[in-house]
Amino acid sequence: MHMKAYYIIFCLLLVTLAACNSEDPLENPDNIPGLGGDTWPPGPIDVWIKDSLTNPLNVAVKYKWDQGELELNKTLVPPKEETVIPVLSTIKQVWIKNYDLVAGEYFMKKYCPKFFVLVGSASWNPDGTVILGTAEGGRRIVLYDLNGFRTKNMPGYVPEDSATVKEMFHTIEHEFGHILHQNVMYPLEYKRISVGRYTSNWNNVSDEDARRDGFITAYAMSAPDEDFVEMIATMLVEGKQGIDHILGNIAGNGPNGTTPDQARAILRQKEAMVVKYFADTWKIDFYNLQTRTRASVEALIR
Amino acid sequence: MKRLLLYTIAAFFMLASCSKKDDPVFDESPDVRLNKVLAEYQAALAGAPNGWNAELRTANGSLYHFHFGFNDANRVQMYADFDTATAFERKESSFRLKALQQPALLFDTYSYIHILADPDARVNGGEFGLGLSSDFEFSLDSLAADSIKLTGRFNGSKMVLRKASVQDLQAWQNGQWKNALLFESISARILNYFKRLNVGGTAYEIALNVASREITFTWKDNGGVTRQHTTTYSFAGNNVQLGTPLTDGGTTITTLSNLSWNAGTASFQVNVNGTQAASIAGAIAPLIPDLAAPARWWQYMADQEDYWISWFGFHVNGVDDAFKIRSIPNFYYLIFFPEFNTEQGVTYDLAGFISLSGGSLGLEFGAAYRPPVFTTDGRVIFRYFGTLGDVPPVHEEKYLNTASLLNNTSGFYLVQTGATTYDMVSAIDAKAWISWQQ
Repeated sequence: MHMKAYYIIFCLLLVTLAACNSEDPLENPDNIPGLGGDTWPPGPIDVWIKDSLTNPLNVAVKYKWDQGELELNKTLVPPKEETVIPVLSTIKQVWIKNYDLVAGEYFMKKYCPKFFVLVGSASWNPDGTVILGTAEGGRRIVLYDLNGFRTKNMPGYVPEDSATVKEMFHTIEHEFGHILHQNVMYPLEYKRISVGRYTSNWNNVSDEDARRDGFITAYAMSAPDEDFVEMIATMLVEGKQGIDHILGNIAGNGPNGTTPDQARAILRQKEAMVVKYFADTWKIDFYNLQTRTRASVEALIR
Repeated sequence: MKRLLLYTIAAFFMLASCSKKDDPVFDESPDVRLNKVLAEYQAALAGAPNGWNAELRTANGSLYHFHFGFNDANRVQMYADFDTATAFERKESSFRLKALQQPALLFDTYSYIHILADPDARVNGGEFGLGLSSDFEFSLDSLAADSIKLTGRFNGSKMVLRKASVQDLQAWQNGQWKNALLFESISARILNYFKRLNVGGTAYEIALNVASREITFTWKDNGGVTRQHTTTYSFAGNNVQLGTPLTDGGTTITTLSNLSWNAGTASFQVNVNGTQAASIAGAIAPLIPDLAAPARWWQYMADQEDYWISWFGFHVNGVDDAFKIRSIPNFYYLIFFPEFNTEQGVTYDLAGFISLSGGSLGLEFGAAYRPPVFTTDGRVIFRYFGTLGDVPPVHEEKYLNTASLLNNTSGFYLVQTGATTYDMVSAIDAKAWISWQQ
């Protein structure tokens, strides 16, 4: 009896399923507007990006406005078309080419972040500070203030513009530093150098005060990872001389009571660990990379 | 019992699943309809041989005009009545139509329309981080035969596109709009703080706020009564159009047109209401001085034992911060402190240079003045008393220029520009002034 009851229910269920089969074919998905991203007839910028970045490095660049890629609460504007190729080609020169030269051509093909978003203006915070770059997940880098980007070869260049140029490469080298250590972690001893001095209050500390305590920038005080990549970025963009200059200018005790000599020793120790990490992990001669990168930066601003 | 329940439930399922009612509200699927709408807009935009006239009202209420020429390859050519350059040099950039929550028109690389929305206040005179509250991403609200209505998706500004005629396009190409925009360069050409529109024997003092496109007229009517009229203005071809016309007895001013700069007389020739010849020239004194303003300005801070601040110091002969006081390292602002202290029996006022040091503000040095003289014709005269503190030799020139300009024997007019903001204008020639705020 039980068997029979189940049998009937089973049959009923089959009928139910069949009843659901209403012939309602899905619409052709090719007709969904915007599916697979926006398209437009490629212009010179699109061709340049494809030839210079997408084909050799599998890097995509979004330079046309897409609110979905950006903070929804910020007033931002897209870049001027005439700035896109100059910025991207300097990025190639300063960053990609120099890594290619010291690490071999496959290194960047493998580790280069794959997606750049370009924004014309800086991103203004309510406190009046601005954001010039962000990175997410080792894949996406957002670069701001393209409309303010001017190298010495461009009309209207004034010496103050060098700050924007250096900041952009500082951002890129910083974010790329994260990608490297997310692939292979740096030695844990690094985290012990300044243990106990990392603080979320870093934004109220000046770079000068941070340096007196053995941090290369104030942002380096926020966490060991940031400390590590700020060292990489500052060393590459400022060059060996620049670092010597920064260390030479440390005067007076830090907020935590570090003496100038101690601060210098801490920074030199951090520098040595960065150099060793590049040599051991990536087989990269860091000082070679530093010399080349700084020379490329100087070619843009001096 | 249990079995019956199962049968019943199964039967219910069957009945429910058999309901094949498929009655969509629309004939076609959303995607088909969306594609159709986008194609319609694209055809309309690119199908206007002389392009489109556009009127954009920002969320702040200011009115700007554009001319767009769209094509079928996502490119747009643009004129704008933002300044004399944007009104004459056609700029190409990109646009695209996109299905966001509604069909939307995006100007997706930078062009003139983005100037208004740029968060960098140095570009448009608006606020940092906000600009002039405008948009470059619009939802398409309606499409009629020769007009398209749009709403900004970020700040909610409103734009209307109307099909342009050949004449409309030519008005940009042959420089009519550029000519009208000369109006906003009045302050660059006329170096005096006070500017007067002289029409039909009557003088109207005008004050322009370019960022908000507002103009204030001050004059005396036939009965000798002081009158004031503040209105927005906008451009229309060759015309400067007042939002609300000015009426003064039998005179009405609606438009200013045909502007031209006469370097010989240092004035603008202009037509009022299209035909009546008039001029705009500088003046060294206010048309109607606010006689009580100097004492009111001084007393306001004296009562509170507080001080006025100025971020940029003096503007002289068309140059902001002419004495470069902002180049003093860590300089914060210049203050004017009535009755700062008493020395040798003199209670003196102080013009002090304030800098940031060690996380707090400090008075570095300053110029002291004896109690000011208020004249009956509405001026205040400061008389130098001495220097407070030590002026570093590298900053001496900035200090001396500022201190001696304050010390000039003609003194200053005070113009109240807000509840607690004043402009202090040198009475020598009205070509130097400083803005004070609380």
